[in-house]
Order: sequence, then structure tokens, then C-alpha cells
Amino acid sequence: MSSLSSSLAIASQALQAQELEIQVTNNNIANVNTAGYTRETVNLSEADPTQQGSASIGNGVYIQGVQSVRDDLLTLRIQQQTSQQSSANAQVNALTQIESLFPTTGTSLSSTLSTFFSNLSALSANPTNTADRQTAIQGAQAVVQQFNSISSGLTGPSSALDTTVTTDVAQINQLSTQAASLNLELVQQKAAGQDTGTIGDQLSEVESQLAGLTNISVTHTDQGDSIVTGSGTPLVLGNQSYALQTQTGADGHQHVIDSTGADITSSISGGDLGGTLQVRDTQIPAVLNSLDTLANQFATAFNAAQQQGYNQNGTAGTALFTVPATVAGSAAAISLATTDPTAIAASSDGTSGSNGNVANLTAVQNAALSSGSVTSQSANLVYQVGNLTANANAQYTAIGQSLTALTNQQGSISGVSIDQESANLIQFQQAYAAAAKVISTIQTLFETTINMIPNS
Amino acid sequence: MRFNPNINAAVISDIQQSEQNVQTAFQQVSTGLRVNSASDDPAASAALIQVQAQAANVDQYSTNAESVLSQAQTADGTLTSVVQLLNQAITTGTEGANGTSSASDRVSLAADVQGILSSVVGLANTSFQGASLFSGTANGQAAFVADSTSPTGYTYTGNSGVNQVGVGESLTVQANIPGSTLFTNPNASVLGALSGLVTALKTGTSTDIGTATTAVTTALNYVSQQHTIYGNTINQLNAQETYLSQETVTLTTRESSLVGIDSATAAENLSQAETANSSVLAAAAKVIQNSLLNYLK
Repeated sequence: MSSLSSSLAIASQALQAQELEIQVTNNNIANVNTAGYTRETVNLSEADPTQQGSASIGNGVYIQGVQSVRDDLLTLRIQQQTSQQSSANAQVNALTQIESLFPTTGTSLSSTLSTFFSNLSALSANPTNTADRQTAIQGAQAVVQQFNSISSGLTGPSSALDTTVTTDVAQINQLSTQAASLNLELVQQKAAGQDTGTIGDQLSEVESQLAGLTNISVTHTDQGDSIVTGSGTPLVLGNQSYALQTQTGADGHQHVIDSTGADITSSISGGDLGGTLQVRDTQIPAVLNSLDTLANQFATAFNAAQQQGYNQNGTAGTALFTVPATVAGSAAAISLATTDPTAIAASSDGTSGSNGNVANLTAVQNAALSSGSVTSQSANLVYQVGNLTANANAQYTAIGQSLTALTNQQGSISGVSIDQESANLIQFQQAYAAAAKVISTIQTLFETTINMIPNS
Repeated sequence: MRFNPNINAAVISDIQQSEQNVQTAFQQVSTGLRVNSASDDPAASAALIQVQAQAANVDQYSTNAESVLSQAQTADGTLTSVVQLLNQAITTGTEGANGTSSASDRVSLAADVQGILSSVVGLANTSFQGASLFSGTANGQAAFVADSTSPTGYTYTGNSGVNQVGVGESLTVQANIPGSTLFTNPNASVLGALSGLVTALKTGTSTDIGTATTAVTTALNYVSQQHTIYGNTINQLNAQETYLSQETVTLTTRESSLVGIDSATAAENLSQAETANSSVLAAAAKVIQNSLLNYLK
């Protein structure tokens, strides 16, 4: 049975619906610059009609609720890409520092090596010239200094990276705790039948920050989001978070320990932590090993050549460089055995003016050592470092592009458009005005009806 | 399809990319290099290191060649003087062998030859940059010292060592001829022949003097022969220096083709990058300002 009162009820319901629309629009506009905010829409539907004989009479609008517009699959992909992006970024930052140790122009390891061999070659024209011998010893000193300083330049960042590991792990723990408490809130709100859009936004923002630190995998469950690392170590299960720890390992570096006490350092990939560990545990040691190999093989070969000849005093040549027997640590430990210019074994027969052994000394430059000649090894070092940096850069750029595309796509789904909200606002304003007009009309009708009653 | 309403992030990343391009182009213009760090082109950088090492060696070979060249030129000049002195001695010997010369004439001729002998020894003791030119590889001493027990009055104190100096990747030249080879060779000893002539002039017959003079001629021929060795070395070194300077040009060209950039290309890249940058900025300014709110009154 339709009546004026039911029309009034429909109109006031309409007013409420438009008010809610305006409120949500307002909220969208307010959060247009909020990181991780997902735009919300109001779900409206027709209220169940009243059957009157064959006629079905509408009962106005029904407010179903407020919904965040998001694509979970897209969010997961963005998290993965964010992990890789941060990893590449960490590598680029660390490797750019290392790359500066191997310049292609100016003073470098390769240039000091070739200068040293030039100095030796100069001795062949004048083996007894003290100034030339002094220059050659200085050349040897410069080579030693290059090896020493590049070696410490490689190990320096590696200890700075330890600090990054510690702070990354602390951040991961903090975010895990945050995610666990958000999970608890989410479950409670769901149980109370409330809208979980805001909590969902916060949770996915926390997850995206976590993804920037390490590779994670997120599963939506009844108990909220389960977050585990790429290798399966749980970080958050329901409202419980599992803290990681750092601990100094046998190699003197910070290792990552999971909540059960297992060392998971080598299984961590992605994110700032993964990239940092990759540089610290794989890339720097590889470069350092090449440098150590060069230092060791060069010094050993040169010392052997020294021993084939005689020094300026006519005694048998002795080692010019002191270098450890093992390759590891050679570049850091290499030093000059003597700074005496007469020690260079230029002579092949013990006479001071002979230059017969200079050819043997200079031959070390291009002799085939077990890992290639001195020149090609130092060229390879530059290639190695350049290639690592170039690859990290290329990866960063490539992922950056796909991440931009994904973020763009996410924005197209979830982003707040001021234009759209402005247009909506006008639409809702008019709907509100219309509903209000209905109420004032009904009021007039009521008055008319009441005026029909004669005054007694 | 709904479009991403928040284009700011994309616009900013475009601006950054474009500014990065301008910076790269500017660096290429200002350094003239396409490769400014190893990661710009790892393979070219590694090749550059090899070329640089090669170029440093070529520079050193060239320095070595110059040093050996001046040493050889000094030795060459010295031998020219020795040859002149020996010619004088032969003239003197021939004069003494002549039957008309008296005993007193011969004594004074003997004194002349003795003078020539000490001049030759003086030349044989020439040093170059502090090192004796003709004492083999024994250093820091005169090649010949006076020795009354020796038949010639002088003893060789050097050795028979010969130094080879590298002036190319696979080219070495002989830097010295030991004094024992040049001046006291057993078959054609310069000092022996001269002192023989002195003795013959003092005490011998005309025939003896004639024989002694012939010995000096033999010695002269021998020294002239050795003289050409220096001449050849000098020619070889001059040729090598020309080759090395060409090699330097070749290597410099290779260096710049590996890591350099043509300045016209670099300038063009820069102006292109700048144009692109201003377009991006202009477009960004337009797009960011645009909003429905501007039109709702």
C-alpha cells in the first residue's frame, strides 16, 4: 500500500545515500595524495519492491556498503617488481662506488702497472743510471699502493653494507609487527561486519614497503595476510609476527638468522636486503678474487724473473715483492721487499752494466700467467666491474619501466581522479537537491491533506 | 577503460629520464668521450686498457730508441775520429818506411804515433752519460788503463758483454761494441798495431816499419767495418722511431674509436636531448595544470 509516509521514507533514504556518496567523494578527494590509498565507491542497489497485485512498486535505494576499488593480482605483481627494483637499486649504488676504483682514464691499476714496466724498460738503455733505477722502484711502490688501496676500497663498502643489512632487518621486523597488528584489526573489523578498505590499504602499503626490503610472498587468509619470504621463512602468520635477527658470522659479516635460529643469509633474494647481500657476498668477493689473483701471479712471476738475474752489486737477484703464498688476501698484503734501487736485477751476468735480465723482467707484462697476462688480467678486472655495474643499471632501468607500467595500471584502477570526483560531486549534489525537493513536495501534500480537514 | 588520473609520478619519471639524457649528452660533449666509466661499455673499456698498455710500451720503446740513438751517434762520432787518427798513423808509418828518412826523423815520427796511440786510447775511454761507451757491460771505469807490463802499454779493464735494448715489440738493437772487440781484437788490434809501429819506428828496419804500417792498415779496415755496424744501428733506430710514431698515431686512433665520440655527433645528441627536455617540461606544465575544476564556476 503506497502512501505519502512511504514516499517520505524513500526520500530520506535517498538523502542518506547521497550524503554517503558525498562523504565518500570527500574522503577520496582528501586522500588524493595519500600513498597507498585506494579510491572507494559506494555500492547502491534498489530496495526490494512492494508487490501490489500485478504492480511492483519500487522502494527507493538501498545502501550496500562502501568498497575499495583494487586489483589484488596487480598489487602482488607490483610487490614482486618492487623487490627486484630495490635489489637492483642497492646493487647500482654499491657497484658505482666500486667502479670508481677502476677508472678508464688517469691513474689506475693498469696504468701504474704499465708505467712500472716502462720504467724497467728504460733501464735497458741505461742499467746503471741511479735515477732510472729509483724511478723503477717508485713504479713498483705505486703498483703496490694501487693493489693495497683497491683492495681496501673493495672491503670498505663491504663493511658499510653490513650496516645496511642490520638496518634492513630491523625495518623488516618493524613492518612485520605492524602487519601482524593490522591483521588482528582486519579480522576484528570483519567479524563486526565493518568495511575493511582502510585496513586493507594500510596492510598493502606495509607489504609494499616489505617488498622493497626483501622478496616476499603474500597469501590472503581468513586470519589476514600471511607474509613469507621468497625462500619460505614466515614473517607474519595471522596476528603473529616472526622477527629475524642479525649476527656476526665466521666471515666477520652480518648474517641473517630466522626465528628458529637457522642462518638464512644465502637464501635471501630481492629487495634492498637481497641486493645488498648479493653485492656483499657474491660480487665484491668475485672482484676481490680477481684482484688477489693478479697481485699474486704478477708478484710471483716478477720475483722469479728477478731471481734469473743479478742486482747492481753483482749478487743474485732476490724477490722485489713480498706476497702471501695463498691467493686470498694477496692484494691487501702485497708489499715491497726492498726499496733499494740497486736491488732490481737488470744484469744477466753479474756485471753492473749488463741489461740482459731487463728483457726477462719486462716480459712479465705480457707473459701468459695461469690466469692470463698481467695486462689482460687488469683489463678483465675493468670489464668485470664495468659489466656488473652495467647489468645492475640495465636491470634497474628495465624493471623501472615495467614497474611504471604496472603502477600506471594500478593507478587507472585505484587512483583518485579529481576530475571524476568533481563531476560526481555535482551529480550527487543534484540528486540530493532532487530528493530534498521530493521531501518538500511531500510536506506540501501533507499540508494540503491536513487543510482538507475542516476547522471545527 | 579508465586512465590513470595521477600522472604526476609518470611525468616526473619522464622529466628525470630526459634530464639524465641531457646530462649524459653534456658529459659526452665536455669530455669528448662516449665511455666515461667502465659500465658505459665494459668491453670497450677492457680493450682500451690493452691499447693504453700498448701505447705506454710504444712510448717507452721510442724513449729507449732515442737514448740508444744518441749513444750510437756518440760512438759513431768517436769511431770516425779513430779512423782519422789511424789514417794519420798510416801516413806517418809510410813516411818512416821510406829509406830516405833518418833515424832521428823516425824517432820523432815514433813520438807522433805514440801521440796518436794515446789519443786513440783517450777516444776508447769516451763515456756517455757517465758510463764508459766501450767497456762492455763493466761499468763506472775507463775501458783502457795504462799498464807498463802490457806490450801496448794499456790494459783493457772492461768485459766482452753486449747489451741489447728493446725498441719494439720484437725488435732489439745492439747498444754497444766492447772495447776488446774494437781496439784489441787479436786479429786486428788497433792498439797492438799502433804500438808495433812505434816500436818499429824506434828500432826497426824500413821493412819492419812497412810491415807495422800494413798491420795498422788491417786494423783500420777492421775498425771501418765495425764502424758500419753503428751506422746500421743508427739507420735502424731512425726507421724504428718513424714506425713507432706512426704506431702511436694508430693506437691513439684506436683509443678514440673505442671510447671517443665524434664531436659533431655529440653536439647533435646534446641539442636533441635539450629539445626533448624542453618539450617534456612544456608538456608537463600543460598536463599538470589541466583540471575540470578550472572550468567549474
